[in-house]
Amino acid sequence: MENIPVVELEDLKVKLGRREILHGITCRLGVSGKGKAVGLLGPNGAGKSTLILTLLGFLRPSAGRARILGINCGHNMGEARSRIGYMPENDSFVGEMTAVTFLRQMAELSGLPPKAALEKAHEVLFHVGLGESRYRELRTYSYGMKQMAKLAQAIVHGPELVVLDEPTNGLDPAARRRMLKLVTDMKEEHGMNVLVCSHLLRDIEQVCDEAVILKDGAIVHHCNLEEERRSNRSFVELEVTGDDRNLRAALPEIGAEGVSEGGGRWRIVLPAGVEVEAIWGLTAQQDLLVRKLTHRRDTLEEIFLKAMGHLSHTPGESLTL
Amino acid sequence: MVLPRYAWRRLYEQRLVILLTMVAFVWPLLCAGFIYLTNHLELLQGLDADFRAFIQVNGEFFRVFMYVQAGCAVFLAALAGPGLVAPDLANNALPLYFSRPLTRWSYALARLTVIVGMLSVVTWIPGLVLFALQVGLAGGWWLLANWTLGAGMVAGFLVWALILGLVAMASSAYVKWRIVAGAVSLAFFFILSGVAAMIDAVFRVTWGHVIDPAWAVNRIWCTLLGVEPPDGPGAGASTLALVTFVLLLVAVIERKLRPVEVVR
Repeated sequence: MENIPVVELEDLKVKLGRREILHGITCRLGVSGKGKAVGLLGPNGAGKSTLILTLLGFLRPSAGRARILGINCGHNMGEARSRIGYMPENDSFVGEMTAVTFLRQMAELSGLPPKAALEKAHEVLFHVGLGESRYRELRTYSYGMKQMAKLAQAIVHGPELVVLDEPTNGLDPAARRRMLKLVTDMKEEHGMNVLVCSHLLRDIEQVCDEAVILKDGAIVHHCNLEEERRSNRSFVELEVTGDDRNLRAALPEIGAEGVSEGGGRWRIVLPAGVEVEAIWGLTAQQDLLVRKLTHRRDTLEEIFLKAMGHLSHTPGESLTL
Repeated sequence: MVLPRYAWRRLYEQRLVILLTMVAFVWPLLCAGFIYLTNHLELLQGLDADFRAFIQVNGEFFRVFMYVQAGCAVFLAALAGPGLVAPDLANNALPLYFSRPLTRWSYALARLTVIVGMLSVVTWIPGLVLFALQVGLAGGWWLLANWTLGAGMVAGFLVWALILGLVAMASSAYVKWRIVAGAVSLAFFFILSGVAAMIDAVFRVTWGHVIDPAWAVNRIWCTLLGVEPPDGPGAGASTLALVTFVLLLVAVIERKLRPVEVVR
């Protein structure tokens, strides 16, 4: 069972009618049993949901192969589905059922015996914070509660892989934080693999160890966020007035790298241990007037913008520009 | 059996369903009284001889019994059937079901089983009880002479329950709103019956009846019970028409019961 990828795609093509949505995707994501999270990023229409629906067996590939936990999605979906939990993006519930009955039914459908299913339903509802309202009908829940109930039904049977489609959609900041905390707990404490589909970079950055960026039905970038985090780099967006031609040459003096976007705008990457004050010193040395300085640590935005073609070059990747 | 178990519980949590089910037992009770009387002619001593000759438990008796119960079944199916499928579609619950080891066909079969089971409670089960009552009162010779009535009644009711179940599921899958789906289920029978009558009247034919599933089922019942059939197409044509209806309804269900609606 070692080193089986959570998701393995081989030249996967998916058509909806005559339109090809996924154009021959090949990749290996995550490692089964490691409790890691993979983020699926991309703008609207990139093919994220199509990929998820194909992995769940809801859509048939027109060519190629998709494997989930080592199981071919085209053939043994029954076995694969008993090991997967799925939280869809849209509202999905049975309104007339109480949360506990709903979860019990879903757990039984996934193969748990009735008694164990009931115990797990109670346990999971408390875990996601719906313990007090578990005997209420789902249609009476608020939007945030419904999102939590959707997450609960996805994990009630203790799946090896949980597929979350836009889990924080429409949540207020507090609920969003709780959702992300639960996702982190799922992988770190319960060893579940998680596949998160989102267009919110911060969510992916916060919970995922790996990220795949899709654009127009193809993978445009695959990165290891763990390594990016370990590098402990931070990013600076700088806007200056004055002659900044010598700034690129001066940046290595403080161990930094950067690219000019023109008009005095710079994207600079600071290595671990170098603080933003060094930039202030450097601009003072160069006689530059700082109009704007933004300092942050989320590397994913840089990667995403580059993958989308909005940024020609990611600072730190190369110094040839 | 997980889905049918939960669906069964949901079904009988509705008071209207319980009420209608109880109402549907009134006619079988009256029929049971009728059977008792036919087997105790001494109680009818003062009555007209023709009337005494009229009251017999035969194919005609079971046909009348089936008519009334079939009517109750139509209303019960229209009331309760859509409640099993429409909420799942309206609340987009199908992806949750189908992301588990459950195929679309097993989901549809589970729902259909519950509807047919619910209709069985008011159709062939009380019919079989009446049949058993008659056998008990009349003796084994009656069973030997009329066992085809019991078998025909059960088969006839099962065909009807299947049609009703499929109509309820197809209308729920199509409109996704329980109340409207119930109305569509009822309208399905009334409209087709009206259209069939219109075809017959306009073209001065009798084959128009084949597009009326209720008429086609009735025609098959007549053959199963060995009673005088109404004017119109035979049992073979009616069976063919019903098979076509079933296939059309299955096609609608197959098309609509999907975890995702693909916009092409």
